[in-house]
Amino acid sequence: MDALEKLVQEAEDTISQSKTTAELTAVEVKYLGNKGSVQAQLRSIGALPKEDRPTFGARINASKEKLTEAIGLRRTMLEQSEIATRLSQEAIDVTLPGRPFPVGRLHPLTSAVYRVKQVLSGLGFEFVDGPELEEYDYNFAALNYPEDHPAFDEMMTFYVDDEHLLRTQTTALQGRVMSLRKPPFRIATVGRCFRYEAVDATHHHTFHQVDVFMVDEKISMADLKGTLKQFAGDMFGGDVQVRFRPDFFPFVEPGVDYSIYWGDRWLELGGAGLIHPNILEAHGIDSERYTGFAFGLGIERIHMIQNGVNDLRLYLENDLRFLKQF
Amino acid sequence: MRLSVEWIKEYAPVDAGAEAIAERLTMAGLEVEETEETELGTALNITVTPNRGDCLSVLGAARELAAFYNLPAPKLPEAIVTGIPAEKMPDVSIEDPDLCPRYAARLVRNLRLGESPAWMQARLIAAGMRPVSNIVDVTNYVMLETGQPLHAFDYERLSEGRIVVRRAKAGEILQTLDGEDRKLDPDMLVICDADIPVAVAGVMGGALSEINENTHTLLLESAHFHPLSVRRTARKLDMRTEASFRFERVVDPEGVVRAADRACQLISELKMGDVVAGVNDCYPVPAKARTLAVRPERVSMLLGFTITAEQIIDNLTRLGFGIENREPMVFTVPSWRPDIVREVDLAEEVGRVVGYEHIPERLPNGATVPGGDTLESRFALQTRQVLIAAGLQEIESHSLLAPSVFEDPREEGQRIPVRSALSADLSGLRRSLLPGLIETMDRNARRGQAPLAFFEVGHVFHNINCYNETTSLAVAISGPLQDPTWRKDTTTPSADFFSAKGLVERIANGLHVDGIRFEAGDDPRLHPGRSAKLILEDEVIGMVGELHPSLVGDLTMRERVVVLELKLTSLLQAAEGSKHYTPLTSYPSITRDIAPRLARDLPYGSIRAAVEKANISILEKLELTDIYTGSHIPEDQKSVTLSLTFRSTERTLTEEEVNEALDTIRKSLETACDARFIG
Repeated sequence: MDALEKLVQEAEDTISQSKTTAELTAVEVKYLGNKGSVQAQLRSIGALPKEDRPTFGARINASKEKLTEAIGLRRTMLEQSEIATRLSQEAIDVTLPGRPFPVGRLHPLTSAVYRVKQVLSGLGFEFVDGPELEEYDYNFAALNYPEDHPAFDEMMTFYVDDEHLLRTQTTALQGRVMSLRKPPFRIATVGRCFRYEAVDATHHHTFHQVDVFMVDEKISMADLKGTLKQFAGDMFGGDVQVRFRPDFFPFVEPGVDYSIYWGDRWLELGGAGLIHPNILEAHGIDSERYTGFAFGLGIERIHMIQNGVNDLRLYLENDLRFLKQF
Repeated sequence: MRLSVEWIKEYAPVDAGAEAIAERLTMAGLEVEETEETELGTALNITVTPNRGDCLSVLGAARELAAFYNLPAPKLPEAIVTGIPAEKMPDVSIEDPDLCPRYAARLVRNLRLGESPAWMQARLIAAGMRPVSNIVDVTNYVMLETGQPLHAFDYERLSEGRIVVRRAKAGEILQTLDGEDRKLDPDMLVICDADIPVAVAGVMGGALSEINENTHTLLLESAHFHPLSVRRTARKLDMRTEASFRFERVVDPEGVVRAADRACQLISELKMGDVVAGVNDCYPVPAKARTLAVRPERVSMLLGFTITAEQIIDNLTRLGFGIENREPMVFTVPSWRPDIVREVDLAEEVGRVVGYEHIPERLPNGATVPGGDTLESRFALQTRQVLIAAGLQEIESHSLLAPSVFEDPREEGQRIPVRSALSADLSGLRRSLLPGLIETMDRNARRGQAPLAFFEVGHVFHNINCYNETTSLAVAISGPLQDPTWRKDTTTPSADFFSAKGLVERIANGLHVDGIRFEAGDDPRLHPGRSAKLILEDEVIGMVGELHPSLVGDLTMRERVVVLELKLTSLLQAAEGSKHYTPLTSYPSITRDIAPRLARDLPYGSIRAAVEKANISILEKLELTDIYTGSHIPEDQKSVTLSLTFRSTERTLTEEEVNEALDTIRKSLETACDARFIG
């Protein structure tokens, strides 16, 4: 065994004993670098007879290749084992809770309001806002309420002065719109209403209502029923049935309350009817040529039905345990 | 109104059970809210809408039912009242026929007061009334049966045996049956004898003329009073009686004598006294029957399906309408239906009888108009989304509240109170959203809930020579936005002034509102050293800060409570059209830090202003990266590190340009802020 063979043997042993890729790199430099010991053997080539030199050179090259290959194999092995070690060292308990990001939510009534707006906008209704602090005339007189009629008994009203009150119904917008616009129009409004009611699970002095009305030629109870069916279907999902029952509201004639068959039962949703011709005429609209329908319903009611909420009071109580659920 | 089914069936012999009848009445507009089991079987609790006073009786309900089951119209038994001859009929005079168009009186002699028969008592009890005596029971019975309230006077107690119907005189007092002394005024209609009031018309009788065991002769009153007059009188006296409830809803003027006769018939049959023949019916101007024209094609158009002339005639005659003419079609309206005044009312009646289930479903086929939400509402939603993305919970709180320390005390005079509020909690309109937010926060804190970070978008109200209603946005936060967790490196700081200010900046940034300035605050609700007012184009649009320590003592929250409130409409105006495109540039930026030494109490706003005043067009961004005070620096000074980023959209900047800009900025800081640059 000559010196080169010994050196290769020694290098092979060192390579196979390397524990890390860093150690292996040092080994590579030591034996195969430009100043490495294998290269250093070349320096002794001058001492060899001329005819032996090519053979010796070839041996050195072969040794380099052999060692390079051994290093490559060893490196692959060490890298694999190093990754395996890192993976096992870095393993964590993935069942621990995550880093929290704060979560904010819309109030459930806001979500319901915007859902209603989306559906009605799609049906061609334009939203208009009216004031919560409303004029007596718009809330009652313009809606065909006879003077001091028992119909007022259902509308315990918060008055601010003789001419101003907190609107008891979003229907109050109708007169405002009709005094400014000429038919045809499709209008909707949504907002807060107030009635002096004792507060319990189904009554509140403050509640939210959507009011929808349209005036055009030949609008009939069938248009009302079809629109309600479409609206309720979009809101609640599925093919709902609509049912009318006669009811009385001074601003509609015929007046009905309407229910939808949803799930497995009839749910009363609100009041509806054809806009009373007295109202159209009071705003200079030809009631022979034009008719209209109107319907309204409570936003709370919509959300309660959709989510199975059983207590109206929860909406204005703002308990986080409730709000977090929506 | 509660009535037993068997009684209704006596007049409308329907072959159906109580449940089916309840359903039919409900679907016809007489809502049966619940049923009750009584000695006489099922009784129905019927809610009658305020326009249908004619249905407030057995006869009224039976009339509807008969029409829907297509039975003959119910009729009271023919009242055959054989009476003893009258020596003298009571003298009735109506001084105010506008308030009392009709007044009928009958007499009963030899009154035998006692108990009414068991069958009558049973029906009264089933209807929720208490039997009193045979005469009172008869008047109540006939009222329930016909809808016409009756009153029995002790005739001998009526001075000169006279009845005078007139307005009360100022100062007159009447003790009513319930023992209360009622102060009367000229707006009230009263029934008087020759001298004094003996009853409040349509509301309640007087105590002095009440029948008792010594009563020999009884005067039975059956009258028609003006609904509005009865309503106002009853309200003024704070009395609601079965009689006033019916009169307010209009009683059939043509049923007046029939009801009196019916009562006399019962009195006679049940041997309660000797009925005197004849009735004094004072009816100076009899009401005329109303006639109404109706067009079948119009009815069909309104209901949305074809109704024939024959159907209309059939439906309306079933309800008691008389056909006056067929071509054109004209009907007479029954006297008990004052609610029917227009053709459209008849369309409703036809629809009710035919059944609304026949109305088809159609979508309106007309001019298509674009639907959509209002600009403000869309903006409000955007604003809400910015806030929920920041981790805040939206709430909806009350618009009505008691005066609160969390409303601006400087604007106390602008509060809009509610007239004759019944409770302090509902005594006025909110001027600010803070009371609701803080109450919500406190309630949740009491219940151990977290995080306490809320906002509301809602209307606020101010009286500034007129009623001003605006949309406000407010936030209240206390403590960290996130509970501490096991990861100690993720604890969020408790909210302080800078949290709220950061939120204002986030709102402005998210909504693209430029130019909100913060100036030292003066809102007495806030910590004077930790609050600011928000200014946009010289208008104060809101405030931000920590609540004044003197206001938080009673609250559950132990950490600082930070709030902000601003006018949403001002934000909206500023956000309008503020978005414009700046071309993206690929030229590199150069960032340099400068660290001037400044007086320790110099506000950062002044430093920033001095940099901006240098007016360097290539200055893209100014960032505050550090404020240092402490060793190596005199006590009255601070070192402020500013990071300045320069960039041109047209070329690559040269070192010289940047150095020149930095020099200008340094000089501006030296001049305006007395800054010194060390090293």
